[in-house]
Amino acid sequence: MSESALSTVNRPESPAGDIVEVTLPASSAYLSVLRTATAGLAARLDFTLDEIEDLRIAVDEACAMLLPQAAPDAELVCRFALEDDAIEVTVRAPTTRGVQPERETFSWTVLTALAGEVDAGIDEGLTVWISLHKRRGLPTGAAS
Amino acid sequence: MSESLTMTWHDEEAATVVRIAGEIDAHTAPQLRTRLIEIVAEGRARLVLDLTGVTFFDSTALGVLVGAQRRVRALDGHLGVVTDRPLTVKVFRMTGLDKVIALHRTLQQALDWQATLPRAGG
Repeated sequence: MSESALSTVNRPESPAGDIVEVTLPASSAYLSVLRTATAGLAARLDFTLDEIEDLRIAVDEACAMLLPQAAPDAELVCRFALEDDAIEVTVRAPTTRGVQPERETFSWTVLTALAGEVDAGIDEGLTVWISLHKRRGLPTGAAS
Repeated sequence: MSESLTMTWHDEEAATVVRIAGEIDAHTAPQLRTRLIEIVAEGRARLVLDLTGVTFFDSTALGVLVGAQRRVRALDGHLGVVTDRPLTVKVFRMTGLDKVIALHRTLQQALDWQATLPRAGG
C-alpha cells in the first residue's frame, strides 16, 4: 500500500499471502467492476497481459454462472488469494436453488480452458461457489 | 458503471453490416440480442457483425451470436463475424464455434464472402 505508482520497477514487498475480498450486489451490472479488480490484482502478481486477459474472462464466466440462480438482493463475494506465482479466486453467492454449475455449457468450457484448476460446490444456506486457480507462465489449454 | 455497448448498422449490397463496440457480457448481451432480433425480423438475413471495436467478449456473447445465426439461417441467410482481436478469436476457438460461425479478419473479407453465397429465395 505504500508503493507509489512509479515504484513497480523496484517493488519492495511481494503481495504473496495477501487476501483481497470484494463484495458486490449479485447483479450483472457489476461484472465490469469485478473484471477491473481482477486485472489490477493479477498485474500486482506480474501476470502477463495475456494471462490477465484470461483471468478477466475466467472470473467473469464464474460470476455469470452464479448470477442467474442468486437469491434476490444477494451479495456476490469474490475472494482473491494472492500467491507467489499464482492466484486463487473464489466467487460465492447465496442462491434460491443451490444448483451446481452446469458443465455442458460454453461458460464452463471457457472457464476451465482459461483458468487451469476449477472447482465448484454448495455450502450451507444454498451458497454456491466456484473457485479457480491460475498459475503464471503456463500456457492455457486451448489457446496454444 | 463504465461499461457500454454501442451498435450501429447499415445496408451494403452484399450484407447488412452491424458494428458493435464496447464490452459484451451478461449485462450488455441482452440489448445486443434484442437489437439483432429486430434487425432480422425486418427481413435482413445476410449479416456481418463487425466486432473490431469489442473490448470484452465472453460466452454470453457467443450465445447471442449463435442465436442470431440460427435466426438468419431460418431465413436461408448467412452470418459472418469480423474480428482481429486475439481475445475474441480465442473464446471462439476454445468452444469450437470458430468452425460454426465464419470469422473474418476484415470487413471487406466478410463482405466478399457474403457476395459468394447464394441469395435467399433465388
